[in-house]
Amino acid sequence: MQGASCVEPIDWVEVWLSNRGDPAHLHLSKDGCRIHIRYLVQEVCPTSRLVIQGGQMAEDTTRSTDQPEDRQKDLHQVNKTGLSRRNFLKGLGTGAVAATVAPATLAEADSHSATTGAEITRATVKLSINQQVYQIEVEPRTTLLTVLRDGIDTGGQRIDLTGAKEVCDRGACGGCTILVDGRSVYSCMMLAIDAEGKEITTVEGLADDNELHPVQEAFIEHDALMCGFCTPGFVVASKAILDQNPNPTREEIQAELSGNICRCGTYPFIFEAVASAAKKMK
Amino acid sequence: MAEWGEARKSSLLGKYTQRLSGPQKVTGQAKYTFDINRPGMLYGRILRSHIPRGTLTALDLSPAQQMPGVKAAIPLIEVGKEIRYEGQEIAAVAADTKDIAADAIRAIRFDYDPLDHVVDLGESMSESSPQIRDWENNQSDRQIDEKGDLQAGWTTADAVVEATYSTEVQVHTCLESHGHVAEWDGDQLTVWASTQAVFGTRRDFARHFELPEDKVRVITEHMGGGFGSKFGPGVEGQAAAKLAKETGQPVKLMLTRKGEQNTAGNRPSMVQHVKAGATKEGKLVAYEVSGYGTSGLGGGAGFTGPYVYQVPNYRTEKFNVAINAGSGRAFRAPRHPQGAFAMDSLMDELAEKIGMDSLEFRKLNDPNEIRHAEYDRGAEEIGWNRRQKVAGSAPGIQKRGIGVGSGQWGGGGGKGTKARVNINSDGTVEAVTGTQDLGTGIRTAIAIIVADELGLQPTDITVKIGDTLPGLPSGGSGGSQTTPSVAPVVKTAAMAAKESLINHLAEKVNVVADEVVIKEGSVTIGNNQLSWKEAASTLGMETISEEGSWDENLREGGAAGAQFAEVEVDTETGQVKLIKIVAVQDCGLIINRLATESQINGGVIGGIGYALLEDRIMDGQTGRSLNSNLIDYKVAGAQEIPEIRAIAHDTDRKVTGIGEPVTIPTAGAIANAVYNAIGVRVRSLPITPDKVLTALEEA
Amino acid sequence: MEKFSYINPARLEQVPGLLKDDWQSKVIAGGTDLLGEMKDYIESPKRLINLKSIPGLDQISADDGGLTIGAMATLTDITEHSEIQKNYTALAEAAGVVASPQIRNVGTLGGNLCQRPRCWYYRDPDTDCLKKGGNMCYALSGLNKYNAIFGGGPNYIVHPSDTAPALVALGAEVTILGAGGQRTIPLENFFILPTVANPYRENILEPNEIITQIHLPKPIANTTSFYIKLRERSSFDFALVSIAGVFQTQGKKCQDLSLILGGVAPAPWRSNEAEQVLRGQVISDDLGERAGKAAVKNADPMSDNAYKVTLTQNLVKRAAVMAVS
Repeated sequence: MQGASCVEPIDWVEVWLSNRGDPAHLHLSKDGCRIHIRYLVQEVCPTSRLVIQGGQMAEDTTRSTDQPEDRQKDLHQVNKTGLSRRNFLKGLGTGAVAATVAPATLAEADSHSATTGAEITRATVKLSINQQVYQIEVEPRTTLLTVLRDGIDTGGQRIDLTGAKEVCDRGACGGCTILVDGRSVYSCMMLAIDAEGKEITTVEGLADDNELHPVQEAFIEHDALMCGFCTPGFVVASKAILDQNPNPTREEIQAELSGNICRCGTYPFIFEAVASAAKKMK
Repeated sequence: MAEWGEARKSSLLGKYTQRLSGPQKVTGQAKYTFDINRPGMLYGRILRSHIPRGTLTALDLSPAQQMPGVKAAIPLIEVGKEIRYEGQEIAAVAADTKDIAADAIRAIRFDYDPLDHVVDLGESMSESSPQIRDWENNQSDRQIDEKGDLQAGWTTADAVVEATYSTEVQVHTCLESHGHVAEWDGDQLTVWASTQAVFGTRRDFARHFELPEDKVRVITEHMGGGFGSKFGPGVEGQAAAKLAKETGQPVKLMLTRKGEQNTAGNRPSMVQHVKAGATKEGKLVAYEVSGYGTSGLGGGAGFTGPYVYQVPNYRTEKFNVAINAGSGRAFRAPRHPQGAFAMDSLMDELAEKIGMDSLEFRKLNDPNEIRHAEYDRGAEEIGWNRRQKVAGSAPGIQKRGIGVGSGQWGGGGGKGTKARVNINSDGTVEAVTGTQDLGTGIRTAIAIIVADELGLQPTDITVKIGDTLPGLPSGGSGGSQTTPSVAPVVKTAAMAAKESLINHLAEKVNVVADEVVIKEGSVTIGNNQLSWKEAASTLGMETISEEGSWDENLREGGAAGAQFAEVEVDTETGQVKLIKIVAVQDCGLIINRLATESQINGGVIGGIGYALLEDRIMDGQTGRSLNSNLIDYKVAGAQEIPEIRAIAHDTDRKVTGIGEPVTIPTAGAIANAVYNAIGVRVRSLPITPDKVLTALEEA
Repeated sequence: MEKFSYINPARLEQVPGLLKDDWQSKVIAGGTDLLGEMKDYIESPKRLINLKSIPGLDQISADDGGLTIGAMATLTDITEHSEIQKNYTALAEAAGVVASPQIRNVGTLGGNLCQRPRCWYYRDPDTDCLKKGGNMCYALSGLNKYNAIFGGGPNYIVHPSDTAPALVALGAEVTILGAGGQRTIPLENFFILPTVANPYRENILEPNEIITQIHLPKPIANTTSFYIKLRERSSFDFALVSIAGVFQTQGKKCQDLSLILGGVAPAPWRSNEAEQVLRGQVISDDLGERAGKAAVKNADPMSDNAYKVTLTQNLVKRAAVMAVS
């Protein structure tokens, strides 16, 4: 790390280092008249736009970076549309910030936390999916949906459970609904690393020895599907309803399916199918 | 000339048949393009512009290219070119995993000189607006349609209504986003595509890569919704194939949700300034509209009008206004919902003004006999006589009202489909054609037609569609054209196959063909009865394989529909609760009543979203869409769904398509019901609580 | 989302130390809000401290002093809890209308109280709004249909939580764990309005602090509570306006009450004005009307959200009338 005469940070300052407007937090400290960056979130892209927030501190830091005045203005330049102007090549570029920045390594971060807890950056997890155990290497950021659909286990086999669908990828549509310990969840919003030790059931796991689950049968009978892309999510969510409530009213079915979206508009027949499956399951 | 003959006596045609793809779809086994995993496959992703307008001044792919796991990065726009809307493609990458691909596009550096943008229609039309399209004041040429003598019309009018109706930009929101898996084997390109047109997509890929069409194969086994937005490879398809070529590995590139919402089409908005007049006897005499809307940077904004009702004197003028936003595309009944909402509202307003029942007034001006019957049937079903005689007169805070809307669609299909029916010696039957099933149920419809002809069950038929390899082309699935285009050819192919089998059997046992009867899974030859399997086994080494031919007589266009809505409006909260919708739809000759009812439900529910919820929001400051996700862009969910009576109205007509007509009347019916409930008209879709409360306050 | 490292602490006391005070580490509970932010690169924490690895944080227990709910109790746990349904109805109702069943099965009470705003400018990855360190609140000059009518400025977000108004109305206290140990404060004081100096946060939590539990006082006799949420879409939507009401009544007379509005301000918003009109009075339609009017006396709507004033006024009236019927 450059500018190595490290002193205690006198304050915190957030610096938004932006490539495509994405913030990253940098922690700054001040030593005399220049700043350096102690923990770097990721490799600094020297072409990114830098926006400094934090009042007086920001002022201090900008002064201390020895940047020409006009460049600083450019930093904060906002065009009439309110869009911050991205600075590329000619902007902040290879100037002062880049000169004071060097990538901090994860190892350094690890050493800071070694005394308090293991910091996981990759892990081999065992996931019990449809009563089969899969061993798979994941990053903490790997979602359960990604594992199901795109995961390759440590033996090199694709998991290939593509029944759960990626639709909104933000936990708003239900396309990726699966059961975790019997409760419906959005697998796009669950980390795979959090699913270890839990019983995961996907739509592929509902049929018993090639015998369809009553909900699945009812969906076919009532034509509760058209394009079918939302169907696995609805089938799983519907099973979850009946596991909790064997006699749901139409209103209850609607409320319990309110986290699933169907764009073809098959809802009325889905409601019929769930009610009919409920009868069958008695 | 073939005929459907005694279709109504058929045990299959017009009956309830379960979807053949049902078992695959409910078990998660159905593989959509999004689900295709090929050996060695890479994940593609597109870097899109976050600005609405600017000149690209620099693009550096190297940071992405240098990342571990990234196999290729390609530009999708040249430096020096203009970026014209949020979401425009800048570059694409292919990487070992989805997460790496996402990291990679964030590493790509680009810069631009910003240019002034405009996303508001009024602003775009003003003198001071930046010029963003090759149209004067960002406005396309006026499209004018005139008939009769408008001036004379006004003089005979006893009542005139003038009003402005506006409709929002609606986004297709296909649940399976646009995308492809592209794989090269030498100069042979195979593409799994989420498309409404496998053959059209093949042609476009071939042209783009300068390949003979027979070197490209496009496969769409299952498809997660298109609604008019998926007719070609698009930039994303070209990028997928290019990345695959560059890396020598298969590449899957599906749009992210945000990319899907911003760039993969929408229904253009419309603002219609309408003036219309009627006589006190209830005859429309004059109708004048000036309308404009935006299709982003594209064309195609418009409305149909005068809609459904006959007006002797009219003038309509319409034009597109460009804004810096993704272009519109065909969307389930293009131009009709806009026209129908305005016309249906207008008819109510005029009827009230001349003191006539709205339905009576409609009948006096609607020349379509089928719709007259539908009005009666729907009125009975909804309880039209329960309608508030004076709008808004019901006591209490929650007020109920009833309204009606109308629709009309062509959808007669056309020639161009090739289809083949094979009878194999083991008794299996294949029906092969190059159409594709977007969820409409055409796969099952084909099986029903063939099974009906051969005396078999739909499950006995293997339907092979969604693949260009067999070389049996069919058109794109849009405009409610699929069933009327495909059904005649499949029908005649099945007839020809049946005839071949009969001739073969007759020859085999030396009887005249008339003595061979194929029915209900068995074959009778004189006094002998063979099972279907036994009969087929006599083919030995042969296979019967017959192509069908286009038969004009088996299909028909023009589907009339009427819908009724009952709503309850909370006058304190502005919330509109749907109580019931009755949809009466002329479906021509129905092949599968179950799928037909599904299609009606689906059209109505799309219409509910259009009427009450959906609205793409563009921010003037940033030029970006504020709701390109499924939380803020609100499509109808389970709790928005009222009781829906889907009535497939039987007529003596031939096979037709109903994908479009069923979504047209809904918004007008709901808007009229809201008015009937509260006595205040909301003339702008979607009818959200803020608009209802504002309208009530202003009243 | 960006890469991050993951830490599974074994004990609660480790958490503040693991969090440090640099804003680069965050705790993750259900993750249904945080992961969304991370996917949109609105937050890109370097490290996540997983609270699910700590046993016992999800307990719900009744005692003489009332009810204690662990921060990690899921919204479904709360909705289905019979004691909460019976004595803290507003909370059960509020938890039951959060987002969707799938979210409620995973989302925790602590997470719901700490969730970030839904303002579409804030959620747009490419807009540098004031809340994210930019120099302006885009809602003020832009499209603000869903934004605040009370307490706004310098930004105009609304607090998106459903459980927050209910809990504040029920007089909840929150226990916060930090490097210096635990402290318990009224939940009402936990939420803060934006200021020029600090427009970034919605609550008082320091970077190394977490919520560990919520405590509800014993219910007072003759008290009813409820939560009403008005939304544009019934399925899965945030509140346009919501109201949590706790009423202690005798016949039609309102002896005491608490009225907290949601969806209208950057924090759960107590309508002191409406409370004053109703407290100690016999509630009639007229009085409800007056309470509604009082509630919006100081409303300060923007270009697109004046309808929320009407909505709030009517909802307050409805709540008052409902409380005695």
